[in-house]
Amino acid sequence: MSTEISVEDLSFLQLSDSFFPTGLYTMSNGLEFIFHEKKLRSRDILELLKVYLKQQLGPADCVALGNAYDCAKKLDLQGLIEVDRTLYSMRLVEEIRNASVRSGIQLFRCAKFFVSQNKILNLYQQSVTNGYSSGIYPISFAVVCKSLNIPKHKAGLMLLYGFIVSVIGAALRLGILQHFDGQKIIHELKPFILASVKENIGKPLSGIWQFAPATDIIQMKHEQMDSRMFIT
Amino acid sequence: MPYHKRIPRVGIGGPVGSGKTMLIERIVPLLYDKGYRVGIISNDVVSKEDANRMKHNLATKRGLLAEELVIGIATGGCPHTAVREDPSMNLSVVEEMESKYNYLDLIIIESGGDNITTTFSPALADYFIYLIDVSGGDKYPRKRGLGIETCDLLVINKIDIAPYVEADLKTMENDAKQVRGNKPFVFVNSKGGQGIDEVVSYFIRDVLFEAPKNIQS
Repeated sequence: MSTEISVEDLSFLQLSDSFFPTGLYTMSNGLEFIFHEKKLRSRDILELLKVYLKQQLGPADCVALGNAYDCAKKLDLQGLIEVDRTLYSMRLVEEIRNASVRSGIQLFRCAKFFVSQNKILNLYQQSVTNGYSSGIYPISFAVVCKSLNIPKHKAGLMLLYGFIVSVIGAALRLGILQHFDGQKIIHELKPFILASVKENIGKPLSGIWQFAPATDIIQMKHEQMDSRMFIT
Repeated sequence: MPYHKRIPRVGIGGPVGSGKTMLIERIVPLLYDKGYRVGIISNDVVSKEDANRMKHNLATKRGLLAEELVIGIATGGCPHTAVREDPSMNLSVVEEMESKYNYLDLIIIESGGDNITTTFSPALADYFIYLIDVSGGDKYPRKRGLGIETCDLLVINKIDIAPYVEADLKTMENDAKQVRGNKPFVFVNSKGGQGIDEVVSYFIRDVLFEAPKNIQS
């Protein structure tokens, strides 16, 4: 077992820390609506998150991230734009789409503040500024990870883990879970996160898909709520 | 994310019920009369209620600004985080506002909170107003807290009800002077309008950097 440690390991920790400012704590990804409708029990959250992993995050976000990372590695801006546009077009719910773009833009803005002279980061930011790319979160995340030399599979793990943590955080603040329950769910999801990244991170863009109509509808219903704590 | 000019931003924070929304409702018309155009972002603890109220009172009813210039941001139950350690969503909305409405002179960012430690990230707000009201007791200023101590302007609201809640304004004044040193504070009655002109003067002088003669006009 290698005992070598590097700056990249710390960059991995830095980006995966919920203290990193991307606004993910403002999102419940539809959980707030289900809670409001009293259609959710605490033990359902694990199953709900598995659905997200299996039907959306893995086959769509993780595939997009893997392809974007490869493009970033090759300094292939056109390829990056194609991945960005593909994933953007798959974000069916407006508030989810907008929130993802906002987080993505703020993510690379922040990264640009301390990562200097990175060509693909600069090119991608320019592309967003000029309106050729949206800046949607998984793509921005891939570019930022590459700029910090974080390996692709670790970037995939972070993306999925970050999503899970944000939903668990929302569940805690909504009072659905207590803090030990939240950590237990995260622990139980580790093999699923791992499997999802292994299965999807290397797929070509042509293999991207998602199908979770019930969660799409839940998220659309969230948009219509009069009173809410969360952006999504 | 096209190029946009940077519009001055004022953060207004303070405990729930201290009168942040009403203060904004009083300030905006005075600024409007002086020719300043304002956009508003409201970080609400629970809902878009405050944003909708301001939209109704300032945009729909009085036409002082376009309805889309009052934006509510849900904060996931973390209003402090949203304006302090991770203002990403606020910054994003501010930048969109700057891009779409570059004629604006000022953006006001309101954030609720439940304690006296609220501050605004310097990346988000150029000027920070902290609001308290007398109903919390005349001990409030001397309790200190980051908000009270470090804000650019401390506003003490609801002075009209001070006699009814046995709050001694002289005590509050002395304590505010001691806690804040040379930094300013203003006594206000947002409902009756007392002190609002003075708050607006601070906006114009310290945020918009207008010449004193324009403040008088």
